[in-house]
Amino acid sequence: MIIFASLAIFAGVLVSLSRQINGRLALSTSAMESSFWNHLVGLVFITVIALIVGGLFAGEPQAAPWWAYLGGIVGVVFIAAGSWLIARIGAARTALLIIAGQMVFGVLLDVALGAPGNLWARVLGVGLILAGMWVAHSGKKTS
Amino acid sequence: MTQPPNTSLFYFAAAFATGGLLSLMVLFNGTLAAYGSLFFASWVPHLTGTVAALFLLAILRPKRAEVTRPPLWVYLGGVSGAVTVMLTSATLNSALALSGTIALGLAGQMVFSLFADMRGLFGLPQRTPQRRDYVSLAFIIAGSLILIFFGSST
Repeated sequence: MIIFASLAIFAGVLVSLSRQINGRLALSTSAMESSFWNHLVGLVFITVIALIVGGLFAGEPQAAPWWAYLGGIVGVVFIAAGSWLIARIGAARTALLIIAGQMVFGVLLDVALGAPGNLWARVLGVGLILAGMWVAHSGKKTS
Repeated sequence: MTQPPNTSLFYFAAAFATGGLLSLMVLFNGTLAAYGSLFFASWVPHLTGTVAALFLLAILRPKRAEVTRPPLWVYLGGVSGAVTVMLTSATLNSALALSGTIALGLAGQMVFSLFADMRGLFGLPQRTPQRRDYVSLAFIIAGSLILIFFGSST
């Protein structure tokens, strides 16, 4: 259990590490070029690991709806934006605001798709997140 | 910070909207993973993303910030991102499940981001988080944990 917990924490560290390295690359090149290398190097890496481990095409991927294949197009903009932001507002603020956006838009998506969920938890969670963003931003103006 | 408030509001909105993109990616890639393997659900967006990035680079032709090539390690961000997928695929199937994986991931991400800012790691600007940053962090993480553990039926 402690091993899995450590792995989950380490996965979060790697998310931040990846954004920092991509942000550094964007400083020398451009945010979009950084996003390109992130995807190409990641693709090569995953392909090699998948060839070793096997099972890349397991299951029924052809049965997935067409829109499930659009993740990469969104991902290009996502990585480019992260690389661009991290040099401007820092790693912590970038991470925190992306988490805030992911959570709030996640709730909106859930509501739009009719996914079941606890209304009060959603209201309280989104309220706390918006309050946190307000605190962060009202501090920015005076600094 | 010497940036005018308007600029900071723009960065703020941009980062928040970027998080919105992530929720879309989770939906798309998660749906893919429901039909194919987790490898496949990461391999496909990397493949289509590479093509889309090439396409965008050809259209936008962004200017290079520096003429000289950066050190080789700055090209390895994609490896770190790919390993993340593999780690989470292991923890998802453990007792942590999705909620625990996300919650602990957020913790790791925030602690390492704060540390990186304080030290100015990897050639990025050094900055010292203010008290306000910690207050806002507490609010946003508390709200996120409530959503993760109580917000949905999963």
